[in-house]
Amino acid sequence: MQVKELTKRYDGKTVVNQVSFAIPKGKVISLIGPNGAGKSTVMGIISRLIARDGGMVDFEGSDIGKWKSRELSKRLAILTQANNIQMKLTVRELVTFGRFPYSGGRTTAEDQEIIDRAISYMELGAFEDQFIDELSGGQRQRAYIAMVIAQDTEYVLLDEPTNNLDIYHATNMMKIVRRLCDELGKTVILVLHEINYAAFYSDYICAFKDGRIAKFGTVKEVMTKENLSQVYGVDFEIMEIAGRPLSIYY
Amino acid sequence: MFALLLVLAVWSLFVGVLDVELSGLLQGDREHLEVFLISRLPRLLAILCTGIGMSVAGLIMQQLCMNKFVSPTTGATISSAQFGILLALLFLPNSTLWGRAIFSFAFAVFGTWIFVWFIQRIQFKDVVMVPLVGIMFGNVIGGITNYLAYKYEMTQALSTWLVGHFSMVLRGRYEIVWLTVPLVVLAFLFANHFNIVGMGKDFSQNLGVPYNFVLFLGLTIAAMITASVVVVVGSISYIGLIVPNLVAMFKGDKIRGTLIDTALFGALFVLVCDMVGRMVIFPYELPIELIVGIIGSVLFVALLLYRLRHGRKAVRLNRKEGGVA
Amino acid sequence: MNTAAVRANRRKLAILAALVLLCAAGYMLVGVHFDNAKLFQYAMKIRTPKLIVILITAFAIGGASIVFQSVINNTIVTPCLLGMNSLYTLIHTAVVFAAGSGSILAANANCSFAVDLVLMGVVATVVYSFLFKKTKHNVLYVLLIGTVLSSFFSSIQSTLTRVMDPNEYDNLLATLVASFSNINSEIIAISLFVLAAIVFALRRELALLDVITLGKDQAINLGVDYDRCVRRLLLGVTLCIAVATAMVGPISFLGLIIANLSRQFLKTYRHSQLILGSALFGMVVLVGGQLLVEHVYSYTIPVSVFITVGGGVYFLYLLLTNRRA
Repeated sequence: MQVKELTKRYDGKTVVNQVSFAIPKGKVISLIGPNGAGKSTVMGIISRLIARDGGMVDFEGSDIGKWKSRELSKRLAILTQANNIQMKLTVRELVTFGRFPYSGGRTTAEDQEIIDRAISYMELGAFEDQFIDELSGGQRQRAYIAMVIAQDTEYVLLDEPTNNLDIYHATNMMKIVRRLCDELGKTVILVLHEINYAAFYSDYICAFKDGRIAKFGTVKEVMTKENLSQVYGVDFEIMEIAGRPLSIYY
Repeated sequence: MFALLLVLAVWSLFVGVLDVELSGLLQGDREHLEVFLISRLPRLLAILCTGIGMSVAGLIMQQLCMNKFVSPTTGATISSAQFGILLALLFLPNSTLWGRAIFSFAFAVFGTWIFVWFIQRIQFKDVVMVPLVGIMFGNVIGGITNYLAYKYEMTQALSTWLVGHFSMVLRGRYEIVWLTVPLVVLAFLFANHFNIVGMGKDFSQNLGVPYNFVLFLGLTIAAMITASVVVVVGSISYIGLIVPNLVAMFKGDKIRGTLIDTALFGALFVLVCDMVGRMVIFPYELPIELIVGIIGSVLFVALLLYRLRHGRKAVRLNRKEGGVA
Repeated sequence: MNTAAVRANRRKLAILAALVLLCAAGYMLVGVHFDNAKLFQYAMKIRTPKLIVILITAFAIGGASIVFQSVINNTIVTPCLLGMNSLYTLIHTAVVFAAGSGSILAANANCSFAVDLVLMGVVATVVYSFLFKKTKHNVLYVLLIGTVLSSFFSSIQSTLTRVMDPNEYDNLLATLVASFSNINSEIIAISLFVLAAIVFALRRELALLDVITLGKDQAINLGVDYDRCVRRLLLGVTLCIAVATAMVGPISFLGLIIANLSRQFLKTYRHSQLILGSALFGMVVLVGGQLLVEHVYSYTIPVSVFITVGGGVYFLYLLLTNRRA
């Protein structure tokens, strides 16, 4: 997947400005940056949720706008933060929706198998008949991830998956992200606010500032004192723990 | 704006079926003077009070509910006031204008309180849901009103209060509308308090402002203003919705700074609508509600579309208010 | 949904269907003279079309309401926000005003039905398609503008009634109250045909309803052309309501009651079941209500009043119990 010269304007203000980068397959890529740097907007454009004003998103040879939405949903899944469902829906029913792009409303035996696997992969077996709105935040997030797994796509896009989770659940979420990549071979692109999660759990980091890419590269390349200070405008120190660069800011 | 209002106000005094000329007035012509004092002047004063009152009422309600779409129309105030009038007509058929006014006041205040009490208990996903619920709330009350009117064959009589018009405004039967003046002054005194209360319960308690008291005081003022206009003129939708929004677009949202502008602009708006209504099919006149309805709905739709197109702020606001859910 | 729950819901729906049959049988047979063949036939001749009309109305409004709520993603709204009621009222008033109540357009049931249906269909399609385009498919803004337009229609309508001859007005009023009587078989056939055509045209979108309820982002993620789907569904809802309104007259709040009863009773997200449940509840409420109106209140209160009052109370109850909207 390649992004070329993406541009997005709101009300005359350019929030994404000529952004180009290529997404390496089978890796975890974190988009970081200060508020309003345009990372969520880029994520929205890549996933066709947000219309762009310029540039193109090349997905497997053709522009994302030329893809049939149904076909695209078999290759690429997006999970945003806005997930408030009013209806009474059990975990299993939610996960079943992941099979919608393949079989519409009617699930086959094969679908059921995939759903079973997704549920047990996320260790939701004990809750599968509970209603979504009765779950805790961490469990609900896992249910949504299970749905994305059932969707069985090569690419998974997650917009701030650790938002509103405590340290325990957020760390577990990041471990799940790693497993999606390592065990299931997916390309995971996520927007993160917590730099150290990005540093510890991803392969590549793309740092945004003022609608442009400030730095894109492997974790080691991006996680330097100078880069981070420039992006966030505060002082950083980089330490190394378990062979991974971690940052301290003050 | 004030100068413009003054010029138009003076001009409007001399528009009408019967000729009234300045020279005649100055010479002390009795007939001219009578038309002037019995009909023209009261009409002008009623227009000014209506414009100022309704737009200030709308502004207060929008500030208190922190929602740009709340107004006497979309907050069940007008329909409650009409319901009050109908009950007065039914159960106290000999009641004076004042009797009806009291019924109308009581119901308008009560209806607005209930509506705001309801919407404060609910967490809305989107700001637009609040006026939609308000409109449904108004429909409930309107439905009951219509049924009672239908049953007792009062529908056409009631329509006098359903359609705002100034043609019946004469000396001796419009003075209730003057009540808006002290109420607007009161609103001005409490303007900063309304602003703080609009920021939320915790915010105002932190600043030592009694939340519930100010909230209900503000709503009561807005409802009383609305009711006094409904009793005399009839219902006029949109003013309370559009005028504060238009002013806020140019002046920002701080209530104290915009209150006077809102009041002046409201008066100007109603005055212009009234003159249009009087001149289009001269010597007959169209009711103000129709003119305000036409101009108002066009303006409001334009405003909405403008907000949509240029309104990243508006969209953001939606997210912030409802996104917590 | 696990199979046990599906089966439980099927049972519930079967019970509802049985209840409908019971009500229908009660409606057909209560107070009929079995011993007199002529009277028996006469009663059947009167009651059969009425029953059919009620069943169609319940189906149209019940189905449309569920779809509407799911598209808006909110369970305390009803399609009466779409403004078909006020458009209907305006059309009838304008026809009587312009042509007189004796004219063929007003007096002939078929003509009047045709005028209603065509005008409402055309206006709804044109206006709502335009709004969708202009607001870039922001459903809530479309609705808000819709309500503005509907209050605009009402202000024209009430202006017309104010200048109308009182006798004409009395004639008019009778047609503005929902009634199931005097609807001939041609109208029934046309309504059925139009409804069937709408359902057929929307068969794909209806199957997507379950996914639509997950919200816009999720629906797009799962490969649904969300904007197009929502636009077509909302147009379909509007047309369904237009058919029902043209057939029997304005009924507010019926949709609110039956859609929520269905949701509470079935506790599922499956729209095939929800829609069926809502339609069945509608049949029970309308047939039962009509039974009461005819035999207990001997026609003194029209059934629409029961529904408005009951719906209003139910609406307040929903507001009180719903924490989010």
